[in-house]
Amino acid sequence: MLGQGSIRVYRALITQGFQVLSAYRVSLFLYALFSFIRPIIFLAAWVAVAESQGGRLGAFSKADIGGYFVITILVTHLSAAWDFFEFEFEIRRGSLSPKLLRPLHPINYAIVQNVLWKLITSLAVVPVAIAIAITFEARFATTPGHVALGAVSAVLGASIAFVFGWVFASVAFWTTRVHAVVTLYQRAAFIFAGQIAPLTLLPGPLFAVAMALPFAYMLGVPTEILRGGVDLGTGALMVVGQVVWLAVGIALYRVVWAAGLRQYSAVGA
Amino acid sequence: MPDVVIDVRGLTKVYRVHERQEGLGATLRSVLRRTFKEVPAVTDATFRIDAGEVVGFLGPNGAGKTTTLKMLSGLLYPTAGEARVVGHVPWRREGDFLRAITLLMGNRTQLVWDIAAADSLRVLQEIYGIPEERYRATLGELTELLDLGPLLHKPVRNLSLGERMKVEFAAGLIHSPRVAFLDEPTLGLDVSMQSRIRRFVAEHNRRAGTTILLTSHYMDDVVALCKRVIVIHRGRLLYDGELGELAQRMAPYKVITVALRDGAGSAFLDDLGTVVSREEARVTLRVPREHTAERTARIVRELEGDLVDISVEDPPIEEVIDRVFQGAV
Repeated sequence: MLGQGSIRVYRALITQGFQVLSAYRVSLFLYALFSFIRPIIFLAAWVAVAESQGGRLGAFSKADIGGYFVITILVTHLSAAWDFFEFEFEIRRGSLSPKLLRPLHPINYAIVQNVLWKLITSLAVVPVAIAIAITFEARFATTPGHVALGAVSAVLGASIAFVFGWVFASVAFWTTRVHAVVTLYQRAAFIFAGQIAPLTLLPGPLFAVAMALPFAYMLGVPTEILRGGVDLGTGALMVVGQVVWLAVGIALYRVVWAAGLRQYSAVGA
Repeated sequence: MPDVVIDVRGLTKVYRVHERQEGLGATLRSVLRRTFKEVPAVTDATFRIDAGEVVGFLGPNGAGKTTTLKMLSGLLYPTAGEARVVGHVPWRREGDFLRAITLLMGNRTQLVWDIAAADSLRVLQEIYGIPEERYRATLGELTELLDLGPLLHKPVRNLSLGERMKVEFAAGLIHSPRVAFLDEPTLGLDVSMQSRIRRFVAEHNRRAGTTILLTSHYMDDVVALCKRVIVIHRGRLLYDGELGELAQRMAPYKVITVALRDGAGSAFLDDLGTVVSREEARVTLRVPREHTAERTARIVRELEGDLVDISVEDPPIEEVIDRVFQGAV
C-alpha cells in the first residue's frame, strides 16, 4: 500500500514527468505514430492473404483480422517498454549513480515516465486506432465482461513487459553492450507475442512454445480477450497465467538487480 | 569526545579488467578465451573521520580517491574490508544512510536537464521527506550562501558550468546531510567561482557542522578548507594528518630565500644547498631539514653586509604533494 509519503513522492515525480515530456512534445507524438506502422503493414498483408483465400484466414474473417490488429495497436502501445535502452545509457552517462544515492528505488522514476508517456500519447493513438477500425471494417465480439477482464489483462500485460524490460535492462550492470541481448529479446517478442499474426494462426508447435514464454502474456493474451476472441472462462485462465508470469518477472528482477548492484562499477559515475 | 562518523578499516577494491593484447591474432584469441587481470584500486585503507571535520583526500589521477568515495557513499561494493558511515554499512544502502549523506561530483549532474532546478528540488523534497518549513529554511540559506535567486527558475541546460555547480550544491545539500563527499567540486570553474564555492563549503561546514571529505586537484581548495589531509597513491594511504605537518613529514628539506645587495656573494650559496632559482639578487635554495639552522646562521654570518633579507620556509604544499606522487619520498 502506498503511504502518504509515497503518494507525495509520486505526485512530485508526475509533475516533473509532465514538465520533462512537455519539453519533448513533438518527438513524443512522432514516436507514438511510428508504433502504428508495423501493425498496419501486417494488417494490410493478412487482409490481402485472406482475400486471396476467399475472404478468410483460418478462423479469422477480414473483419476479425481488422479487429485483432486494431486491438494490437492499443495493447502494443500500453505494453511498450524501453528501459533496456535507457538504462544502459544511464549507466554509461553516469546518471544512474545520483539516483542510486537517493532513498528511492530508480524503478520508480521509470514507472512514472512509462505511465505518463502512455497516457499522453493515447491522445494520438486512440483516434488513429478508431480510424483504422473504420477503414478496415473491424469486427469485435467483445462483451462488457471482456472489457472488464481485458482491462485487467492489459494492465498485467504492460506490467509483465515493464518488469521483463527491467530484467534485461539490468544486464547493463555486466556489459555495456546490452543491445545484442535486447535484440534477441525483441526478436523473440516479435515472433511469440502476437505481433506478426494472431497466435492461434501459428503452427501447433510454435503456438505451444509461444504459450510457454512470457511474450504472449504481454500482448497476445490481452488482445484476444479485448477483441472477444476467447470466452471469459478461457480469458480468466489466461489472466492467471499473466499473474504467474508477473510474479516470475518480479522475482527474477529482484535477483538480477541485487546481483547487478554488487557488480556495478559505477562507470563514469 | 566527538562522534566518529566515518570509520574505515582495511577497505580494498580490486577491479577485474578484461585484458587484450594488440593485433588480429590476439583479438581472435580473445573471442575464444578472455583473459582478465586484477587491478587494485584501493588497498587496505584505514582511517576515521570525526563529526564536523573537513578532510582533504589527495592523490593523483587513478590513485583511488573516487573509488573510495563511491564505496563510502554506497555505490560500490568493496572487495574486502569494512566501513561505517554514520553508523551504517554504506553498500547496504539503507534509507537512513542515504538520507544522511550526499556525493557531489564536479563533472556530473544530478539535476534534470530540461526543467528548472526549483522543480528538481521540489522532487528531492518529497523523496527525502523534508517538511515544508525546513525545506524553505534550508533553501533560503543555500540561496543566500550561493546567490541562487536568479538561477533556480531557469532550465538547467541554460546554466553556465559555474551556475550549474551552484545549483548542484543546492540539490546535494537540500536534505541537510550529515556527511558530504565532494569529488572535485571546483573542477573546470574559473578562479572567482572556485573561490565562491570554497567560501560556501567553509561556511556551510561552520553553520551545519557537516562532515566533509573532499577531493580536489586544486591545492587552493585544500589549503582553504582542510586542516587535515589524507594522501593516497596507487590505492595505498601514504599520509593521514595535519596539512601543516605534511611538509615536515614528507619533505626532508626547507627552502631558504636570500636577497643580496647587487647579487654579491651569490656563489657562496652554491655550497650550502641545492639552488632552485637565481633571479638577479634573489637566490632560493633547498637545504636538508636537519641542517637548516646551521646553514641559515652561516649565511647570516658570512654574507653579513651583503644580506638584504632572508626567509626560511617549508616548501610549498604543491611541491610536497608532487614529491609524494612522484615517489620521491
